[in-house]
Amino acid sequence: MNQKIALVLIVLFGTGLNSFAQTNSTPGAPTAGIVAATKKFLATLDDAQRGKVVFDFKDEAQRKRWSNLPTAIFKRQGLRMGDLTKPQREAVLAVLAAALSPQGYEKILQIVEADELLKKSSGETMFGRDEYYVSLLGQPSATEPWMIQFGGHHLGLNITLAGEQRTLAPSHTGAQPAIYELEGKTVRPLGRETDKAFALLSSLNEAQRKQAILDFQMRDLVLGPGRDGQTIQPEGIKGSALTEKQRQMLLDLASEWTGILHEAVAKAKMDEMIKNIAETWFAWSGPTEKGGAAYFRIQGPTVIIEYAPQRLGGDATKHIHTIYRDPTNDYGKKWWKP
Amino acid sequence: MVEAVTRTLCRLPLLLALLAFPSAVFAHRDDQYLQATLVVIEPSAVRLQINLTPGVAVAEQVIAEIDRDRDGAISQNEAAAYAKLLKRDLTLRIDERKLDLKLTASEFVPPAELRTGSGTIQMEFSAISGPLAAGPHRLTLENRHLATISVYLINASQPRFATVQITRQKRNRNQSAGEIEFTFHPFRPKIDESGARP
Repeated sequence: MNQKIALVLIVLFGTGLNSFAQTNSTPGAPTAGIVAATKKFLATLDDAQRGKVVFDFKDEAQRKRWSNLPTAIFKRQGLRMGDLTKPQREAVLAVLAAALSPQGYEKILQIVEADELLKKSSGETMFGRDEYYVSLLGQPSATEPWMIQFGGHHLGLNITLAGEQRTLAPSHTGAQPAIYELEGKTVRPLGRETDKAFALLSSLNEAQRKQAILDFQMRDLVLGPGRDGQTIQPEGIKGSALTEKQRQMLLDLASEWTGILHEAVAKAKMDEMIKNIAETWFAWSGPTEKGGAAYFRIQGPTVIIEYAPQRLGGDATKHIHTIYRDPTNDYGKKWWKP
Repeated sequence: MVEAVTRTLCRLPLLLALLAFPSAVFAHRDDQYLQATLVVIEPSAVRLQINLTPGVAVAEQVIAEIDRDRDGAISQNEAAAYAKLLKRDLTLRIDERKLDLKLTASEFVPPAELRTGSGTIQMEFSAISGPLAAGPHRLTLENRHLATISVYLINASQPRFATVQITRQKRNRNQSAGEIEFTFHPFRPKIDESGARP
């Protein structure tokens, strides 16, 4: 991780450096650590704010209230970052830092900062770091199920916790611009996803490419926000037709989504993917030259990942939407739904 | 049953907010009408779940097809008429036999929301495919609706019945037409709740 860039992003997001330090001080953080950070955040709020941020765990409308769209178009509920004090915003980030891996936390901050740049370049106040919302479903607990939501334009994090089990599914990441300069450094919030996908594609031989590459255009995510409960027939090349090295590359690519959550649970998810790798598919649509605006999909028994450049704005490589789902356990339902 | 729902009033605050942000085009597609179809194949029926999302620059053209009296709301009659228009532009066949589509559900958002480029119209059409013979079958779907402004997605849903096994999918370049090959195994039991196949 480029620690300097991460530190700059945190300062820009309106918090101090202590929050970031926490990301490095909680390796393998158990749920108790996330619970403690969340309770600390709740303690910074007044009663009215607490009433707005905490929803009933059974509130299905709130559970599904997330989108790729900016808040002016898709209305979120919960607490808006721009309405919080600096200590309150720091407390929100501390919750995210406790729940996410350092890489995942950095990615989230970079996505938010891209939106701040979009605000400046477009002059539109519906973008920017103030327009992100935090909400909780249920009360923070080390034993009972509860949920953390954090999202806005190009970001919909849905973290469900049930004891020591946690899932990020379903969640949306995206970026516009998907590449920008900060403190003299180039930032690409979804850069590793892009590079690893092209590396995997270039490792395929001609016969494998014929299977992996779809001969039609993919203009958007198939299972994006609002498509809960849908599952499509997998396509492309199956894991069983990949070499061992290519399987590792596929898993490494998927880890850019599974690894957003803290290492302890990310490893469990990756172990599950390794077990299912032969039944996991990789599909590609669009240019095959590195840097082109191409769509790809990873689909296995317990994971669906899509990456879709958006034509809007001229250069589709600078506007990306992605989705991460678990068709067997979106919102952690197998842990709590009777 | 046809359920054409308009929700103008409850969305009014949102719509007013949207009017203040004409540059919503920064956030999503602007000059295309996205028509995404999920094809659900069941032992004796086919369902088409269609999501229709017009971009900002083409929204007026789409709204003109729906809100025929230009009163800013979509009545049940207007919704039903638009569904009929869409149905006319869809051709569904199994083994070259054309199937009769029936609208089974629909949800329309108000024109003002469609103008933002974020509103999605949802429709579901169903067709009785009749008793299928055991063995391979070929379903084809063609969507000609507002072709000059549209982009399409066609995908087979993962079957909920072990009796239906998708074997191959093909589409034309822009996915306005798709072909799904599947095999019907009449004696396999339904997939259980966990999704596991017997």
